[in-house]
Amino acid sequence: MVEITNPSVAVCVLAGLEGMGPRRLHRVLQAYDPATALAAIRDGTIPSFVAASELSNIWAGELCEVDELAVARQLRDNKIVVTYVGHRDHPALLSEDIDPAPVLFRRGKALGFEGPKVAIIGTRRSSGLGREVARELGFGLAQAGVSVVSGLALGVDGAAHQGALAAQAAPPVAVVGGGPDVVYPKRHADLWQDMVASGTVASEAPPGAAPVAWRFPARNRLIAAFSDLVVVVESRAAGGSMLTINEAIRRGRDVMAVPGSVRNPAAVGTNQLIAEGCAPVMSVEDVLVALGLTEAQRSGRRSAVASPAPTVPSHLVVVLDAIDDGPTSIERVVDRSGESVVSVLSRIDELVALDLVVHDGIRVRRA
Amino acid sequence: MLATISSSTLSGVDGRSVRVEVHVTDGLPGFTIVGLPDTSCREARDRVRAALVSSGASWPLKRITVNLAPGGVLKTGSGLDLPIALGVLVASGQLPAEGPCLGAFGELGLDGSVRPVPGALSLADALHAELVLVPAVDAPVAQLVAGDRVRAVECLSDAANALVNGEPWPSVDAHCVAAPPPELEPDLADVRGQQAARVALEFAAAGGHHMLLVGPPGSGKTMLARRLVGLLPPLRAEEALEVTRVHSAAGLPLPPGGLLDRPPFRSPHHSASMASLVGGGSGHARPGEISRATCGVLFLDELGEFAPSVLDALRQPLEEGVVRVARSGGTTVQPAHVLLVAAMNPCPCGMGGRTGCRCPPAARARYARRVSGPLLDRLDVMVHVDRPLASDLLGQAGESSAVVAARVAEVRELARGRGVRCNAELEGEALDRYAPLSTQAQQILETALTSGRLSGRGLRRVRCVARTIRDLDDGGRELRPDDVRCALSLRARPPLEVSDG
Repeated sequence: MVEITNPSVAVCVLAGLEGMGPRRLHRVLQAYDPATALAAIRDGTIPSFVAASELSNIWAGELCEVDELAVARQLRDNKIVVTYVGHRDHPALLSEDIDPAPVLFRRGKALGFEGPKVAIIGTRRSSGLGREVARELGFGLAQAGVSVVSGLALGVDGAAHQGALAAQAAPPVAVVGGGPDVVYPKRHADLWQDMVASGTVASEAPPGAAPVAWRFPARNRLIAAFSDLVVVVESRAAGGSMLTINEAIRRGRDVMAVPGSVRNPAAVGTNQLIAEGCAPVMSVEDVLVALGLTEAQRSGRRSAVASPAPTVPSHLVVVLDAIDDGPTSIERVVDRSGESVVSVLSRIDELVALDLVVHDGIRVRRA
Repeated sequence: MLATISSSTLSGVDGRSVRVEVHVTDGLPGFTIVGLPDTSCREARDRVRAALVSSGASWPLKRITVNLAPGGVLKTGSGLDLPIALGVLVASGQLPAEGPCLGAFGELGLDGSVRPVPGALSLADALHAELVLVPAVDAPVAQLVAGDRVRAVECLSDAANALVNGEPWPSVDAHCVAAPPPELEPDLADVRGQQAARVALEFAAAGGHHMLLVGPPGSGKTMLARRLVGLLPPLRAEEALEVTRVHSAAGLPLPPGGLLDRPPFRSPHHSASMASLVGGGSGHARPGEISRATCGVLFLDELGEFAPSVLDALRQPLEEGVVRVARSGGTTVQPAHVLLVAAMNPCPCGMGGRTGCRCPPAARARYARRVSGPLLDRLDVMVHVDRPLASDLLGQAGESSAVVAARVAEVRELARGRGVRCNAELEGEALDRYAPLSTQAQQILETALTSGRLSGRGLRRVRCVARTIRDLDDGGRELRPDDVRCALSLRARPPLEVSDG
């Protein structure tokens, strides 16, 4: 292969080598600049404290197959920006971290955003309610000028990003497990595009890297490192969110949790956190107060979580009272309200039209 | 010498008239059948010969040619055995050539016995003859359309004795054994609690609206669906004939009297193929489950497990009430006036996203997507069946089927007065005349249409359901806002949003 002189391409190649985790890469990049590191690997002069000779032999083999032009084209086509330890744009937050991130590949806006950053995290298997809370927190925080950091996963993560994007204010940041051009989960393809257009999608994994399992705990540490505060919306007792929380605690970041129903399996983890002394989040204000943002810094919108109850027409009150916040079967509503099935069904349709109730033909719940 | 016997063959559920011409002449002895017979029809050769000899007739040692006219129509099945045998007897002078014009169908046994064939009703209907000779077992059914022209024959010698010696024909009624007590349809009183599902069931029965039951396993979806047929009124004469025609053509057992008078209930397993559901098969199209359930209930349990392509094949028949099955040999039109009742779990594990649900969101979304939007759009009444509470299970029995069926019959009678079988068939001008909207109701529907909740087809269907709701309430002329709202609430939609949790 020809000598690679472009440091961005060199970093891409380095980060894509077999067994090149963040720590090893950090050691390499502390010892060499990217281009010389590649030359050292090729010449077999990598010291053994960086990689045992078997590994560096494998690397040398891999280097022979690298197509420098293809990598450069990949970077250019996807508008991927590469920063690394020693690079002037590499975020200090990451290079000075206790588990420093040696490289960062990002698409979308620069990470120069000065305002506060809050991570909104939670389970992928969230409840509809949990996603709504995440969306509203994302919206409220972005409007208040807070950059929302999350992982672009299904469930809470995606909802938080959706909310933040909808506010069209502070740009949100997504830290993803695979390469910044590898859309995962596929269902978030549209959201991914929106994030690239109006926020940032960042990753430690080089372009084209598959979102393999070991990358996600590492991704979680970046989310914690990036943010001033971590808000957990819904988490199961043992979930990926708990890893992020541990990383946040290691870094002395505050963790807050949204309380959930005791019957909601997706809220067991968050409720435990609160029981252990974590501050509860009931509204966007709670987060803003914890960040120490004064009233003056916030823009208009009141809490999205605890919005004022709209007035309910009197003939609907009986049926609305019979409907829980969680999914309620029509059968129960009929039992509780004491009205006929036909009248309950038509009242429910009115409530749906007023956006007070959500109905999927199976069950209903309060909106 | 030439003899001609009328007969018929089955095409779909209808009979087609066939002339069996038998020519016996001098020459090298032989027996050939021409005129597009299928395999089972061509095998008549050997059966007819053995049956004739067993019955004591003599086999003419001459050249025998059988022609089945018209030559372009495929003749299927063994029903032409009897007319061929009669033709040979007439052409060889063993039966009188003069006398009434003969028509027949039936399969022959080697011992000369005459066995029943599928589709007796349609076959007898298509037969043009003064005397219609049919297998004794098929006689009651054939009599429904051919009346007193029908003669029952138990064996070939019966026919010979009656035609040659003037002996009496075997009695047709001999085979109408006393009907066994009608099988008891399960009663709605067995269903405890489930008020919402009961009401939905009543709407479906009264208006003929297709229905979707969603609920966890063991909540009683199948139990409810099986009780639906008991709420329907008995078949009217023309419906009974249609149902009997299809069941006879499909070779399904018929009651001793020949006529089915209760609406059929068909519940095909979810592994059903497209051909088994809508009808088809190679060569001639056999009626599918949707035709077998005509004028009755087609119950699709585990809707999500059916192949999506099979389900989507139901869309057109559900809309038109008939199914057109096209095969290379021709297109058959078969009745499909069904009341579709489908049941499914809210998700693969059945818990529907509640505590204990083990389904990841993607699996749940995939499951909900298995039922296509256009099919859901045709399901007017969707109801959730939850596991009943202990207090309901041990509590009082609900209304019995008879009470509900009486109300259903009244509403169906009102629909007859509007010129349709049931309210679900109202459309166009009739809908405007019989289901006018109050101003407020109109506004509600306008909002639903502009917000995209309702399609054009959905609008018609909502009005039909609202008509049924009003009919069951007080039968007033105009649709009130509450009727329309209730109908909107009942409409089917993908079971996704709320059940997440």
